[in-house]
Amino acid sequence: MLTEHEQGTYEACAAAPRLCSGIKGLDEVLFGGFVRNGIYVVQGTPGAGKTILGNQLCYNHVAAGGRALYVTLLSEQHERMLSNLEGMSFFNPACIARELNYVSAFLLLERDGLAGLVTLIRREIVGQGATMLIIDGILAAEAQASSALEFKKFVHELQMLAGAGDCTMFLLTSARDQLIAPEHTMVDGIIEICDTAYGWRSERDVQVRKFRGSDTLRGRHAMRISSDGISIFPRTEALLHTPPRRQFEVPQRRISTGISGLDVMLHGGLPVASSTLILGPTGAGKTSLGLHFLSCSTAEAPGLMLTFYETPEQVNARASTLISSFPPLVAAGAVHILWQSPSEDLIDRVASDLLALIDKQRTKRLLIDGLLGFQDMTVQPDRIPRFYRALANELRGRGVTLVCTVEVPELVGPVVQPPISRLTPVAENLILLRYVEHETTLRRVLSVMKVRDSGFDPRLREFAITKEGIVLGDGFAGARSVLSGFAHEAGAPEAQGESDAVSG
Amino acid sequence: MATILVVDDEFGIGELLEALLLDEGHRVITAMNGRHALERMAEAKPDLVISDLMMPVMDGGALRQAMLNNPEFRGIPFMLMCAVPEAGIANRISHYDAFLRKPFKLAEISSLVAHLLQAGHSSSPPA
Repeated sequence: MLTEHEQGTYEACAAAPRLCSGIKGLDEVLFGGFVRNGIYVVQGTPGAGKTILGNQLCYNHVAAGGRALYVTLLSEQHERMLSNLEGMSFFNPACIARELNYVSAFLLLERDGLAGLVTLIRREIVGQGATMLIIDGILAAEAQASSALEFKKFVHELQMLAGAGDCTMFLLTSARDQLIAPEHTMVDGIIEICDTAYGWRSERDVQVRKFRGSDTLRGRHAMRISSDGISIFPRTEALLHTPPRRQFEVPQRRISTGISGLDVMLHGGLPVASSTLILGPTGAGKTSLGLHFLSCSTAEAPGLMLTFYETPEQVNARASTLISSFPPLVAAGAVHILWQSPSEDLIDRVASDLLALIDKQRTKRLLIDGLLGFQDMTVQPDRIPRFYRALANELRGRGVTLVCTVEVPELVGPVVQPPISRLTPVAENLILLRYVEHETTLRRVLSVMKVRDSGFDPRLREFAITKEGIVLGDGFAGARSVLSGFAHEAGAPEAQGESDAVSG
Repeated sequence: MATILVVDDEFGIGELLEALLLDEGHRVITAMNGRHALERMAEAKPDLVISDLMMPVMDGGALRQAMLNNPEFRGIPFMLMCAVPEAGIANRISHYDAFLRKPFKLAEISSLVAHLLQAGHSSSPPA
């Protein structure tokens, strides 16, 4: 999922031959992979995932036709390491002792020192034709060196060998606080893996601290270890910082919200490829409105719903009671429902899956039902406004019209506080749903507060949710202070405390 | 087994070539520049010289010229190593038997060395 900007950068760097890691997301962060024949340090605390990364690099390299050598120094026993890898999808025992060789070199290191280790590596590279080398536990080699200079000479000899042997090398080591170790100054790149606790929860991330020969996607990127090994999910707002250059030429075309009365209020519907927030308290009708929007999807212009708080079955059941045309659209594939639990997960993974599905299905209408789901699942809620802005820009570039529902905490009252600060300025269109107490009855009210580059009907409209879906009624003629939540008839004395009411 | 003289001022390359050629069963002599190489050649005549171009004191071009001027060394095969393309060094050296662009590949070395050693036995020295 390289943006065109990154694609351009990657092409500019393509002069240096690259070695694709085959690890999801990592090649995107590196703008195309490691520089071939480079030498890289992978550092991280014990348990961060260095050994899995090293092995995954080897198995992927072998699967792509290369040969690899995995040298361990005072790290795991090979049997134990291999048994830990057995559950991983990349693990392929058939290539072991053929295209991939494991060598334990600690005893040799103790006996013959760094010179002996270099000799072993050189002979293996020449003899086996290894084009990838992992040295797991490089600290043991450093401890064996009599001086920092000797260790630097060792790294230098490895560099020579990497270039002459057409071999890309990875030195795995435990984390240090500062990047001043001898090898750090000499190698072509440093990849750092962190495992950080956030309260009761822990998350891994990866960061490229140094990379010669190319720019990279800087900063920390989420990392997951699963049965598929390591996956990296580039930070969405970094990955999508520039919208696609095939920028959708925003036409003045409008598309229907699925509610004719609302289309009239919007002077013809929602602008194509715009983003809309529907704000409102629980039960106000936000999802119903969103379902109307999706019900205008067709096989040629499909819709997609990302739902956090209701499963696809629940969505379908609800939709079938409101909009009879909705379930057939789902059955026909014109609307796809993607369910994502808002519990612990990575917003960048969800964004990656979402954009992949949009590409695959050529989605034109996207409903994100419960935008707060992103905030609920992440350990970095402060990223949400930037994340949302990047995602909305990307979707605009892809010509997707986005509608998001956002729940506000206040059921009734004069104040509407968007639960995510700095969010509403990002939305091009804003629709507010409220409950209003009027003549001892709680009624639903819809108002349009903002439409991109367009006028709109600012009047409040009562609406009902019926068996035919949302039906817009009349305005509140004669009533005052409706958006305060406590409407009263014009001319009637205002209840105490209501006179300062303002709309959200 | 052949005797091969490796001439390079850069740390690591000479050592790597030495190790590789030793593994292949050759005898290896090393030198840090052209003058040093001529001294080593006087001690033991090599079957092949592998030399860098750009070196202090005496560069690869001057070394090759000195060898050509000496009837005893004129016929020794000479492999030139350089980081710049061959076309860019034409005015700095002539009459070499093989060119190796740095960074070179280990796989290239073995076959090139074998070829030059073989050719060295049958070729006539340049005029």
